[in-house]
Amino acid sequence: MEITQIQLDALREIGNIGSGHAATALSTLLQRRIEMSVPEVWAIPFEQVSALVGQLDTPQAVIYVKVEGSAPGKAVFFFPVESAEIIVQALFGTNDPMDLYADEMPQSALREIGNILVSSFLVALTQFSGIPLQPSVPALAVDMIGASLDAIFLEEGVLDDTVLFIDTQLSGIPKIEGQFMYLPDEGSLKKLLGAMGL
Amino acid sequence: MSNVISVGMADFKTAKTPDILLTAGLGSCIGICIHDPILKVGGMAHIMLPTASGSLGGNPAKYADTALGLLLKEIFGMGANTSRLRAKMAGGAQMFSFPGKPPVLKIGERNAEAVEQELKKHGIPLLTTDVGGSFGRTIHFDVGTGELHIRTINQGEKVI
Repeated sequence: MEITQIQLDALREIGNIGSGHAATALSTLLQRRIEMSVPEVWAIPFEQVSALVGQLDTPQAVIYVKVEGSAPGKAVFFFPVESAEIIVQALFGTNDPMDLYADEMPQSALREIGNILVSSFLVALTQFSGIPLQPSVPALAVDMIGASLDAIFLEEGVLDDTVLFIDTQLSGIPKIEGQFMYLPDEGSLKKLLGAMGL
Repeated sequence: MSNVISVGMADFKTAKTPDILLTAGLGSCIGICIHDPILKVGGMAHIMLPTASGSLGGNPAKYADTALGLLLKEIFGMGANTSRLRAKMAGGAQMFSFPGKPPVLKIGERNAEAVEQELKKHGIPLLTTDVGGSFGRTIHFDVGTGELHIRTINQGEKVI
């Protein structure tokens, strides 16, 4: 579909409010300041997505939540492994090293964080559009970022040549970096924008 | 001096020895590696989905059934002989699982099956594979020796 400038602006605003809610939730959860960048809205060929995530084989913790309802989509949070470890340590109030690759406890903590972040984002999206949206149970992969993202793009077995998503950088003190992407499924965008009268 | 030639998503490249072909961060996608051991040339395709049928247009390098033909055409253009070609493949993982919900489509597995069928159709023997699991792979293919080097984050490294 053709996306107009007004629609892009509306999406950026959704992203702004949604990510703001998510950043506040993370900040409350971890008791530290989390900042977020003004979201970018991208409608680009998926081959170019790699340019936005850096080296494709860098290990990152990826929390993937499917958004269900009448305007479905996909929400993805990803953190470099070092940042994810700091987040889990802050959550448990410890400085002990964590094995995010194998240990079930930090893994379920990350899933739960993903759940909270996505739910906060969806509250904003629903307020805006009036369309009720529910998060699925979160899934987690701690692995090469490229491998996790290709699996998310291909999950439904189809792939548009252009992917549209809202992209926000999160940063916190100390040394937390993360990125959030929201990908509306085909058709959802029209419904969301339509509900907003655009 | 050998160059490392990077193959992106839905992309394919050919090379001559001593150059190395690389694709980083394969998840459910598959890296198809083909070489002619006598001429020491070959190529790699990074496919994302099994079949182009039913989809309108788009990039043919994305699909197993259309990418292989394109890759072979370029390899033949380098003077390679069909009867000498050998194939290997890696990737096809299932990166995520949702508790209580069996994966409906298993794209990784279907990709691997599609590549196998396409190779058979073109009469190219598939020597060895490293597919499946739930982890990402970065692969380096030496078109001179036919060695496929596979690196993972948590499952070690191997050469097939």
